[in-house]
Amino acid sequence: MSSAEIATLPESEGFRIRWGDLAPFIALGVIILLGTMINSNFMSANNMLNVITRSAFIAIIGVGATFVIATGGLDLSIGSMLAFVVGIMIMAMNALAPSLGPWAIPVGALVALVVGSLCGLMNGLIVTVGRIEPFIVTLGTMGIFRALITYMTDGGSLSIDRSLRAAYRPLYFGDFLGVPYPVIITLVIALLGAFILYRTKYGRRVTAVGSNADVARFSGVHVGGVRTMAFVIQGFCVAVAAICYVPRLGAATPTTGQLWELQVITAVVIGGTLLRGGKAHIWGTVAGALILEVIANVMVLSDMVSEYLVAAVQGAIIIIAMLAHRFTSSR
Amino acid sequence: MSLAAPDTAPGRTAPAPVLRAESLSKAYGPITVLSDVTLDIRPGEVHAIIGENGAGKSTLMRLLSGHAEPTGGAMAMAGAPVAFTNAVQAEDAGIVLVHQEILLAPDLTVAQNLFLGRELSRLFAVDDRRMNRRTAEVLAQVGASARPWTIVGDLPLAQRQLVQIARALLDDRKVIILDEPTAMLAHDEVDALLDIVRNLRAQGVAVLYISHRLEEVEALADRVTVLRDGKMIGTWPAADLDQRQMAELMVGRELSMLYPPKREPATAEPALTVEDLTVDHGRITGSFSVRPGEVLGIGGMIGAGRTELIEGLMGLRPSQAGAIRVNGTAVAKPGVGALMAAGVVYLTEDRKGKGLLLNEGLGPNLILQAMDMINPRLRLDRKKEAAVVRSAVEDYDIRVRSLSIEAGQLSGGNQQKLLLAKVMQADPSVVIIDEPTRGIDIGNKSQIYRFIDGLVRAGKACVVISSELPELVGLSDRVLVMRGGRFVAELTGGDITEQNVVYAAASSGKDTEGRKRA
Amino acid sequence: MELRTKGAALLSAAAIAGALTGAAAQAQDKDFTIAVSIPAATHGWTGGVVYHAQEAEKQLEAAYPNIDVIVSTASSATAQVASLEDLSATNELDALVILPFTSEELTGPVEQVASNGTFITVVDRGLSDPSIQDLYVAGDNIAVGANTAKWLVEKLGGTGEIVVLRGIPTVIDDERIKGFQDVIDQSDIKILDIQYANWNQDEAFTLMQDYLGKYPNIDAVWANDDDMLLGVIEAVDQAGREDVQYMLGGNGMKQVIEMVKAGDERTPISTPYPPSMIASAMYMTAAQFAGQAPMRGSFKLDAPLITPENADQFYFPDSPF
Repeated sequence: MSSAEIATLPESEGFRIRWGDLAPFIALGVIILLGTMINSNFMSANNMLNVITRSAFIAIIGVGATFVIATGGLDLSIGSMLAFVVGIMIMAMNALAPSLGPWAIPVGALVALVVGSLCGLMNGLIVTVGRIEPFIVTLGTMGIFRALITYMTDGGSLSIDRSLRAAYRPLYFGDFLGVPYPVIITLVIALLGAFILYRTKYGRRVTAVGSNADVARFSGVHVGGVRTMAFVIQGFCVAVAAICYVPRLGAATPTTGQLWELQVITAVVIGGTLLRGGKAHIWGTVAGALILEVIANVMVLSDMVSEYLVAAVQGAIIIIAMLAHRFTSSR
Repeated sequence: MSLAAPDTAPGRTAPAPVLRAESLSKAYGPITVLSDVTLDIRPGEVHAIIGENGAGKSTLMRLLSGHAEPTGGAMAMAGAPVAFTNAVQAEDAGIVLVHQEILLAPDLTVAQNLFLGRELSRLFAVDDRRMNRRTAEVLAQVGASARPWTIVGDLPLAQRQLVQIARALLDDRKVIILDEPTAMLAHDEVDALLDIVRNLRAQGVAVLYISHRLEEVEALADRVTVLRDGKMIGTWPAADLDQRQMAELMVGRELSMLYPPKREPATAEPALTVEDLTVDHGRITGSFSVRPGEVLGIGGMIGAGRTELIEGLMGLRPSQAGAIRVNGTAVAKPGVGALMAAGVVYLTEDRKGKGLLLNEGLGPNLILQAMDMINPRLRLDRKKEAAVVRSAVEDYDIRVRSLSIEAGQLSGGNQQKLLLAKVMQADPSVVIIDEPTRGIDIGNKSQIYRFIDGLVRAGKACVVISSELPELVGLSDRVLVMRGGRFVAELTGGDITEQNVVYAAASSGKDTEGRKRA
Repeated sequence: MELRTKGAALLSAAAIAGALTGAAAQAQDKDFTIAVSIPAATHGWTGGVVYHAQEAEKQLEAAYPNIDVIVSTASSATAQVASLEDLSATNELDALVILPFTSEELTGPVEQVASNGTFITVVDRGLSDPSIQDLYVAGDNIAVGANTAKWLVEKLGGTGEIVVLRGIPTVIDDERIKGFQDVIDQSDIKILDIQYANWNQDEAFTLMQDYLGKYPNIDAVWANDDDMLLGVIEAVDQAGREDVQYMLGGNGMKQVIEMVKAGDERTPISTPYPPSMIASAMYMTAAQFAGQAPMRGSFKLDAPLITPENADQFYFPDSPF
């Protein structure tokens, strides 16, 4: 809340710290503190940059997922959709490379954005026009996208043209004034998402629809349109993540993005967005993505946990973080 | 006002109380919500508790039924002191509270609901036969037509209410507390329920009856206890009070007029004309029009199709219309957005489920409907939103502790005013209000009536759907009565009486010709 | 109720299949059906299996007009069981070539098929009861680990510090790691760390980043799989770490064999665990019928090192793997 608004609302409770909203950031702080104690290399600039850069994919997709979940929807297809978009983008770039040279990269990226948005539109229309539960719809499209990428790669891998690799590589590994590009892109996407969600009429309608679709309908809000748009935003965010993903390994495989949907949904929920919709925290989602990545990093850096039990400790930490959240927000 | 002395003095020849509360008090921290209530409840009496919202009725009920523990005072049953720490103890002692809300599992059968948590069993298996038999007995006792094996979700609301009462009767009870049992019921169903209560009284059960509907209290109660602002005002024999006196005791001042005076007959061209509106694939059809400066009342039983007709008009359920004209301009097809743009808004009867975002603050609720009008740009204007909140709170007298309160934390009356303020943001010329005062206290009620009167006097047209007959009669300049999905009668002027409305709503309609006009 | 009908249907199907087998015995040199049941292409290696199975199908059917090959893929163990039931119910099978998803779950269903007199060839993952199979063709996972380790011990001169990436917790992974560790343990080489990366490029990339952050000196990395190796190489390149002398994988993936052929300094070798073993098994099975050559027993494919000199033998430019 800005100071101007506090002035215009003298009776309001004004700047009151909501512990529930801060919980994901506190949890992130605690885990970072833990990591620092466990291994001195944890706080090294290199390690920090690696971890933050790696979390970009989940964070960017998470911004879109925050919209879908805020409207009361759910998108399980995002991991497969990412792989599919990556595949299409690589094929487009490879096809364009001989004629366009390095310009194939921006054109391919544009293709990715269009394809991603269309994938989201498809999900959204099936959900709203077909009136089918988003869980089932996206479970179906998850299979479709996964099968398509497997088909496109023949079960192997689909690599980007060597001539483009060098020009494209810096988008993941390069930096601007020391800040890696994926981090900058994440910030831009999160800022855009926060602006749309908190400062536009569309965003207001997103939370209204998620909070109570009947109320929205009775108030003349086009509920189907709002929901469909959220899926399109999700598709767009997946495409942005795909654009950052390709320069890292330069290839798509049938396992690309596998189970990312679960990581993304976990990040969104850790971030304080309600799974049943109505309450959305863009920055919480970003924090959630960082938490997941930092936990994984700390697990590797510590020698305390057997490699067989790493997943169990990760799961336990996530549950503890959610319990802490519940505890702080209920009082 | 001249009233008989309160009937609190002991020594009168009355049966010994089955339950007695002595100086009962309840405080949450420093806030006292109920103080010093002393009350006798006698077997075989209907004892009404009346008071405005926030007067402490619910708190008293919760204390008596063990849902909350008193912070002061004592209770005694048949002379022996008792103290309940939870509802189960109270039920074991023979006191049960029937909640206002329907608290039944919709996917279970009636019998399964009745015995939920206390299933009868034989060896290790539940004994459905015995439970169904016992359920049938209790259902017969309350006059419910539901069968024990009916799925509760398939029952109409009124039957569910009866099932809930039946559940309370499963074991022998000494005291039954009914909290607003008729809030969800239509007129004839209310009558059936009142008979059930009388029947219980005849069996020697003490019934504690809480209701906003003073006519029910007048018709039913033996004694009336009035609470105001958490304090006990007194207990009177019901015969000594009429409805106006009860209302005055509740609000603590004389109610000059609950309903505003009627207006001159409106003559202007209709603001809204609806022709051959067909809803739910022909189950409900109707034509009507309303003029500026007029309140058009729509009466009828619950289930007659009144709400459905209006929801069809707003495009909220499948519908077709022959023609819709607003201030002379045709509206192509039903729809909330199209009609709002033309100047027609609708307040739903279900303010919690369909009217307000309970987890959101005042601003998001107020601007949700008319967002494009308040805020033509893509970006939200937060200053404007804050201004809308401030003026709405002032203009509609929404009482809030803080402007950042969530809608769900408001009282029913204030929620209704917030909902009214919300639809008024669209600056409509026609306002359609479904059940304008359901479940809200008398002070807020009269305020809402004055708002409606003010709107109409300012040249707007208003349509009111109401199941409360006094309200329909007191508010309307003209009444259309619906039965079985059709309008069956139109009443004007002196013909607008409760009897005529009930007659048209319930009779076969063959001899309503005299009152029916084109 | 439903179960019982299903059981009855199975029984009758088995009876029919039995009758048909009898009939087929008389017309033996006319028509043979070989069913091939393999996992669907869900990652690189199985993608290769599918590719080689389909290639072999084409070649076999072209070479032997009297042999019909049916390739069926399944995405899980249960799906494979179901596809086995379908195959044996709708076809009269002379032979079944199967790469089982898991040993335990598939043993029973394969035994059922075998009881009809069908010739059984098992590939890669063995069944719990080896007596069911007529022919067994498999790569040697222990040798994959051991041969890589021997080469590494020699190149590092018996000392050094290395990190290892594991795949998905399975018998294959366990055997490779065991073969590798047993050899390394006899040298002075220290395994600094060993963690799962699920045979996934992305996870291998992040795990390697973390390894590099954790350990200031790493002499060599063994990724146990070429898919993961690609992620590892990317992470090491990004960190610009000169201390990493060798990065090794396994499986003989196309891209890695290209690197070996080009004489890459950090990845001079790979170890084959070729998905083409499915093709070998199919040829051997077909020979049983077409060539009248008895083909029974166990065949374990060796895991010789792939070096720049012999890399051409392991290079299939058209294979996706």
